[in-house]
Amino acid sequence: MNRRRFMRALGAAASALALPRSWAQAAPLLSNGRLVVVFLRGAYDGLSATVPYADPDYARHRPSIAIPAPDGGADAALRLDATFALHPALAPLLPLWQERRLAFLPCAGSPDPTRSHFEAQVQWEIGMPGRSNAPRGWLNALAGLGGGGRGPVAIGVGESNPKILSGPAKVRLIPRGNAAAREGVLANERARQALLDLYSGSDAMAQAFRQGADSRITSAQALMSEMQSADNGAAAAAGLLLDARHLGTLMRDNRRLRLGFLSAGGWDTHANQGAAAGLLANNLRNLGLALAQLRRDFAEPGDLVAVVSEFGRTAAENGTRGTDHGHGNTLWLMGARVAGGRWHGDWTGLSAGNLHDGRDLPVHHDFRSVFAQLLAAGFGLREEQIQDLFPGARFDPKLAGLVRAA
Amino acid sequence: MRFLRVPALPRLALAAASAFALHAQAEPEAAAAAEWRAASRLGYGPTPALLEDMRRAGGPKAWALQQIDAATAASRSPARIPAAMARFNEPLEQTFEAFRAERAARKAGGAGPQKTAAGMPPGRLLDTGIFSRDMVRSAAAWRIAACSAPDVENPLLARMTEFWFNHLNVFAGKGPVRPFVGHYEVNAIRAHALGRFEDLLLASARHPAMLFYLDQAQSVAEGTRGPFGNARGLNENYARELKELHTLGVDGGYTQDDVRSLARILTGWTVAPRDPSGFRFAPRLHDAGDKRLLGVAYREGGEREGEEAIRMLARQPATARRIAGRLAAFFVSDRPPAALVDRLARAFSASQGDLRATLRALVESPEFWQADQALFKTPVDFACSALAALGGAREERPIALALRFLAGAGQPIHGWQTPDGYKTDAATWLSPESLTRRADFAIALGRAASEPDFLAPFLGEATRERIAREPAPLRPGLMLASPEFMRK
Repeated sequence: MNRRRFMRALGAAASALALPRSWAQAAPLLSNGRLVVVFLRGAYDGLSATVPYADPDYARHRPSIAIPAPDGGADAALRLDATFALHPALAPLLPLWQERRLAFLPCAGSPDPTRSHFEAQVQWEIGMPGRSNAPRGWLNALAGLGGGGRGPVAIGVGESNPKILSGPAKVRLIPRGNAAAREGVLANERARQALLDLYSGSDAMAQAFRQGADSRITSAQALMSEMQSADNGAAAAAGLLLDARHLGTLMRDNRRLRLGFLSAGGWDTHANQGAAAGLLANNLRNLGLALAQLRRDFAEPGDLVAVVSEFGRTAAENGTRGTDHGHGNTLWLMGARVAGGRWHGDWTGLSAGNLHDGRDLPVHHDFRSVFAQLLAAGFGLREEQIQDLFPGARFDPKLAGLVRAA
Repeated sequence: MRFLRVPALPRLALAAASAFALHAQAEPEAAAAAEWRAASRLGYGPTPALLEDMRRAGGPKAWALQQIDAATAASRSPARIPAAMARFNEPLEQTFEAFRAERAARKAGGAGPQKTAAGMPPGRLLDTGIFSRDMVRSAAAWRIAACSAPDVENPLLARMTEFWFNHLNVFAGKGPVRPFVGHYEVNAIRAHALGRFEDLLLASARHPAMLFYLDQAQSVAEGTRGPFGNARGLNENYARELKELHTLGVDGGYTQDDVRSLARILTGWTVAPRDPSGFRFAPRLHDAGDKRLLGVAYREGGEREGEEAIRMLARQPATARRIAGRLAAFFVSDRPPAALVDRLARAFSASQGDLRATLRALVESPEFWQADQALFKTPVDFACSALAALGGAREERPIALALRFLAGAGQPIHGWQTPDGYKTDAATWLSPESLTRRADFAIALGRAASEPDFLAPFLGEATRERIAREPAPLRPGLMLASPEFMRK
C-alpha cells in the first residue's frame, strides 16, 4: 500500500498525519497520550477469557474446560453480547465494557505460523513476524521517537531487560514487587558516594550505574510515599496488580514517562487448566484486577492499554484437560479513545472448516495492523514511523473504527 | 581484558618509559586476566586456594584441563551435601509419599500457604515444617553452597550442572515439580554433566521433575480411559520442547506432525511413586499405532520407541550445532565466533556427544582465552562469585541473602517458569537499576567479612585507591561491587 492510500484509509487520522513536518516536531510525539502494553507470556487461552458461548462447537470442543454459558449462575460466563461472554474471574472488567472503555479482537495475532513461545514472543517484541532477531524492540523504537534526551520516556516493571524495551533509547526498568520501593545501600551517603566514584568512568557500565542510582532513588521514594498513603486497610497487593500500581504511580510522578510495559507469566496451561475456577481462573482474576487498576491510573483522554500474548491455544482441549499451542487469540484494548463496549474485526467461529490447520483460531488481524491503527490515530505517528516500528505493517480497513483520533 | 586497562595517568608515564618497563607491566596483567577468566568462567571466580592450585598446575590453561578430569571424577561420586540441606536428596519413594501426605493434609484443610520467602527470618530458611517448601529451599541452598565453596563441590562441576540444568530447565514453582527439583539437579543433571549428552537427555526424560514439569506424566494414547472412565489423551508439551529446546532447536527442521508423532511415541512414559527410579513405562497408556518421526518409521516397540527417538534426536547435526552455540555463548561471548561454534559442534559430533571431549575442545580453543571475548556476570555468577571470594556460603545467613538477592534480580534459583531456561547475556542482565542492587547485596555481605586482599591484583589502580579511603566494614563490599568484579 502506498503512502497516499495508507493515509486516506486512516480517515479521521489523515488530517493529523498530513500536518507539515515542522509543526509535528514542535508538538512532541506522545505528548497527547500514554501507552501501556501488558504481555501475557506463555500464550493465554483467549477462548476462556472471551467465551464464544453461542457457538455450539465451543462446548463440544471443550467437554471438561468450557466456561458455562451465561445464565446468572455463579460459575457462568458474564454476557457481553449475543456472541461472547466474559470469564467470571474477569468480572472487574465488566464495568469498563459497559462504560465503553474496553474492546477486544477475538482473532488477532501474528501471521507467522510458529508454535514456539520463544520465537513468537521475540517476533511480537521486535514487531517483525518471521524474523528471529533485531537490535531493538518496537517499544524502544517508539521511545526513541518520543524522547528528547532528558531521561527515559519508557518504563518496564518486572522483567530484567525485556526485548520489547531493549535498544538504543534509554529506558527505566524496575523489579517486580516491593523490592522496587527500597533504596537499599544508596540510602547510605558514604557508600553511595564511594560507589558513584567507582563508577565515574565514561564506559557503558559506569553510565548505566549512575543512571540506575538516580532513577532508583526516585522510584523508591515515589513508591514508598504511595505505599504509605494507600495502605489504609487495603489488602496487600501482589503480583501483576502490585506491578500495575507501581507503574501507575511512577508514570504519574514523572510525566515524561509515556510508555509502560508489564508482563505476567504462567499462561501455558497444557494440563488441568480448570474452567470457572482453577489454574487459569486464578491468573485471569489477577489480570482483571490489574487492568481495573490500570484503568484508574490511566484515565486521561489519550491513555491506551493493550493486552497481548504471543499466540492462542487449541480450540479443543487436549487429553489432559488443558490446551496446546495454537494460533489466533483475543487481544484487548482499553482507553477513552478506544471504540469500546464491542469487539472488532472478524470472527468465524469454531467449526472445523474455519480453524487454522483444523485446530486453532485463525489470525484474521495482524497485530502490526492493530498497533499501526492505534499509533496513527491515537498518537499521530506518520506512516514512515509506523513502518520503522513494524516493517510491512498494512492498514486493515476492518479496524478503521478501533481507536478515535486525538 | 577491558577492565584491567592501565589508568590514564600511569599510561602517559609508561609511554615515556622504556619498552622493557612496558613489557614488564603488561605481562602480569595478562596473566591475572587469564586467571580471572579461567576461574570466573569454568567456576565461580577465584579464591586463594584456587589461585594456588592454578599456579601449581602451571597456569590457567593447564589447570582448566585438569579441572575437566577432576569434575568428571567428582560427577561420578555422590554429591557432598551438607547435612543441614540434605533433605531434598532423600530417596524418591519417600518424596512421593511425603508429597502425597502433604496434598492430603492440604485437602483436609491443613497447612495452607504461609509467609513468602522474603518475609521468612533467615534462621528458618531450611526448616519451615512445610514439606514442599523445605525441599525447594534446601535444593536452592545446596546450589548456593555448591557454587560458592570449592571444598563442597568442584567449581567446574557446579558450572556444568548450572549449564545443563538451565538447558533442561524445570520450574520449582509448579506444584508437583517442587519436591523433585533438587533430586533432579543432583541425580539427573550433575551425574551426567560431563558424560554423554544422550544419557543426560534420557535421565532428564525419565525423572519425575521433568515428567511433571512438561506434563509428560499425563500424556497418554488418545482414547485411553482414566480411573473414573473419563477419556484421556495426548499432551504435546514435552514432545515440542524436547525438539525445540533440548535438541534440534526451533529451526531444526521438524513439523507439527513430528511433534504429534513424538508425543505419541512417548505415551506411557510416566512417574512411578513406588519405584526407586521414579519412572515407569506403562504399556496400557502407550499408543501402539505406527508413527513417523523426521522421516523414520516407528513400529510398535513399547518403551524402546521413546528411547530410540531421544537418542536419534541427540545425534542430529542440528542438535550438535545448538549445543555448541549455547556452550560458546555461556563460556566465551554473547555473540560467539562462528569458527568456535563449528569447532565445538564437530567435537560434539565426533565424540558421539561426549561432553568431556566437547569441553576440552572449548578450553583448547584460542577464542576462550582472547581478551576481547568479554562476558558480563549474570546475577547467579555475581552472587556465587561474591560468596566464593568471602570464603563460601555454608550457613543460613549468607545463603538467605543470596537467595533473596537472586529473586529480586530476576534470576531465582530453580525459578525460571518456562522451559527455555535463563538467558545469560549482557543484553538481559546489564541494566541501570540492577547494578545498584548488586551493590546492596555486596555491601550487606561484606559487612561481616574480612577484606579479600587476594582480589587486589584483579582490580584497577583507581578502584583500589578509592576503596582504601573507606572504613574497613565498607571495603570488602566495595571490592565486590566494583566494576571489575561485574565481568568474568
